[in-house]
Amino acid sequence: MNLLIKSAKIIDPQSEHHLKVMDLLINDGKLIEIAPSLSANDQTEVFNAPNLHVSGGWIDLHANFQDPGFEHKEDLKSGIQAAAAGGFTSVCLSAETNPVRDSKAGIEYTLNRAKGAVVDLLPYGAISKNAEGKELAELHDLKVAGACAFFDGKRSIKNPRLLHHALLYCQAFDGLVMNFPFNAALAENGVMNEGTVSTKIGLKGIPELTEELMLARDLYLVEHCGGKMHFATISGSKSIELLKAAKAKGLKVSCDVSAAHLWLTDASLEGFDSRFKVLPPFRSEESRKKLIEAIKDGTINAICSDHLPEDIESKKREIDHAAFGIINLQTAFAAARMATKDDLSIEALVKLFTSGPAEVLGLNPNRIKLEKQANLTLFNPDESFTFEKSKVISKSLNSPFFGQELMGKVYGVINNDQKLLSP
Amino acid sequence: MAELSTRHLMGIKQLTKEDIDLIFNTADNFKEVINRPIKKVPSLRDITIANLFFENSTRTKLSFELAEKRLSADVINFSASASSLSKGETLIDTVNNILAMKVDMVVMRHPNPGAPIFLSKHINANIINAGDGAHEHPTQALLDAYSIREKLGQVAGKKVVIVGDILHSRVALSNIFCLQKLGAKVMVCGPPTLIPKYIETLGVEVSYQLDRALEWADIAMMLRIQLERQGKQNEVKYFPSLREYHNLYGLTLERLERLNSKLVVMHPGPINRGVEISSELADSAYSIILNQVENGVAIRMAALYLLASSEKIED
Repeated sequence: MNLLIKSAKIIDPQSEHHLKVMDLLINDGKLIEIAPSLSANDQTEVFNAPNLHVSGGWIDLHANFQDPGFEHKEDLKSGIQAAAAGGFTSVCLSAETNPVRDSKAGIEYTLNRAKGAVVDLLPYGAISKNAEGKELAELHDLKVAGACAFFDGKRSIKNPRLLHHALLYCQAFDGLVMNFPFNAALAENGVMNEGTVSTKIGLKGIPELTEELMLARDLYLVEHCGGKMHFATISGSKSIELLKAAKAKGLKVSCDVSAAHLWLTDASLEGFDSRFKVLPPFRSEESRKKLIEAIKDGTINAICSDHLPEDIESKKREIDHAAFGIINLQTAFAAARMATKDDLSIEALVKLFTSGPAEVLGLNPNRIKLEKQANLTLFNPDESFTFEKSKVISKSLNSPFFGQELMGKVYGVINNDQKLLSP
Repeated sequence: MAELSTRHLMGIKQLTKEDIDLIFNTADNFKEVINRPIKKVPSLRDITIANLFFENSTRTKLSFELAEKRLSADVINFSASASSLSKGETLIDTVNNILAMKVDMVVMRHPNPGAPIFLSKHINANIINAGDGAHEHPTQALLDAYSIREKLGQVAGKKVVIVGDILHSRVALSNIFCLQKLGAKVMVCGPPTLIPKYIETLGVEVSYQLDRALEWADIAMMLRIQLERQGKQNEVKYFPSLREYHNLYGLTLERLERLNSKLVVMHPGPINRGVEISSELADSAYSIILNQVENGVAIRMAALYLLASSEKIED
């Protein structure tokens, strides 16, 4: 693939061209020249777009492609297309498939099916067999096969003994353990944030305490066992305090937040619309502001999509019976940008999609560097647009953002000698 | 003729004070009608009403059915057991059936909050919410406030304590909204496990001491303790036993006499005699429980009549 990208503002703090507007020339998928003005030969396509920005390819720490098992909701192919449209060149995939990805066969299936695609898939291996929280999966085998970390997804680790053993065991091979802190017993069939709104509309609440309790337990275990641990989709304000204190203590912990939680609050559920039913639930405005603060002060390491496609039968029903989850690969950046436009520079925001998640996973971030395979995301951070059903690439339609104005248009990505771009 | 500001009765939240006054004034007329020797009026002739009850109900269903028949509406009844709907398919399927049957109005009770709102997005009939989970039960709150108005002259300025399981109660929530809109002060009282953590943000006072609440109040609204909502077998319950509940939060004649109280005692029914309220008190002059039942029919006639004459807005 040969491509000339014209007049793109470079966002890469490690690059000498950082914040400069440059032309970038790609030859056979490799970035070969960066200069103020370049011209293309006949074999080179030219990409031009308004207010074009370019950064290293973005990494999503958490998406579920429902493949294998629920391919009618999403599959590797449609997920990859949606991810690329959302600006991601790497996506960490939930192990909550059917069967659960708890063996090297599952890892190999995912990697083989996605070989050479425009998006690199980074599959999680389940921590426990069948993600049941009972026995450890073959963690070393999973890691060798290519698991980027160990994560039971939304099935939080109930048993402290399992987490204790996982944290210790993984230290032999520098494995990363992840958890979504959520105490289900305390949540008691709750469907939304516990607060003024849930009280007013009579829906069963999920207190922030459900997250804090398990997070506090996990942090004690990390302090006791050592090792490193990552916390997925933090939503509560006290959780931020706990993580800040843990980091100050020197524990090797990190966390991410779902992009939608930076923008939406529990007020979105006042009309009983199940598209807004997610786990963790959208919290209060007060907590949302705390999340933005934590983004600014660096307590939160990354922003993820938490993409969870669900079919209409699972979603279009009474709130109590509807499935949790939203699709968000295509809207993650725009939601985060909309939420932080007054608080965060483009550079700081992009960090949470690039070096932030890379550090969590212990990977080198995708950079804008000559003589390297181009792994780039192209976008316009200032363009407002309305997200519509017709724009959905994912196989499912459970987006909370239809009809809403968002900010930050993604033109697409370049990776693995391929491009998926639309001006 | 004056009209309601809404074409569905989803909850008290969506009503204005003018709406409530209009319903009360209309109910005054119907109350006079149902005390005549010939109790039937032709107001809703040729209107078909479906009563959809996805949750057990005896009184509310009877009350609605009576109100509909007194207004000469054509009535069809549908009941589904809770077990067949645990997966929720029934509702969307029922929706399609109703569409096909050309029903004008729907009265619906459902165990899930928001279910009538879900329904309203898919059918064009006027909908009355007859109770949706722990969300709202608007006609109950209207008849309660109407009964207070009848007994004490007005609702504004009165102090009402709602006692019992506030956490799971649509009656409590609708009453809070309704009484506040009419200018009353509301307190909730019950075991702390059954009081929602954020209830004070709705502008109500909270007490865990029944005696103190009764001293404060002009009216005590006793809620039914619904055992099925207190947790399944072998689960952690919200309180240890009915005996202990009665000792702490049960209203008895002896308790009222000890406090030298002139309270008006209400209950939405059906009563657990000896749990939230003692038999002798329920049957005493303090109680206006049976007035509530009578007023329920008049209020439901008023709501049905006003909604049927509201203009159909295509949405």
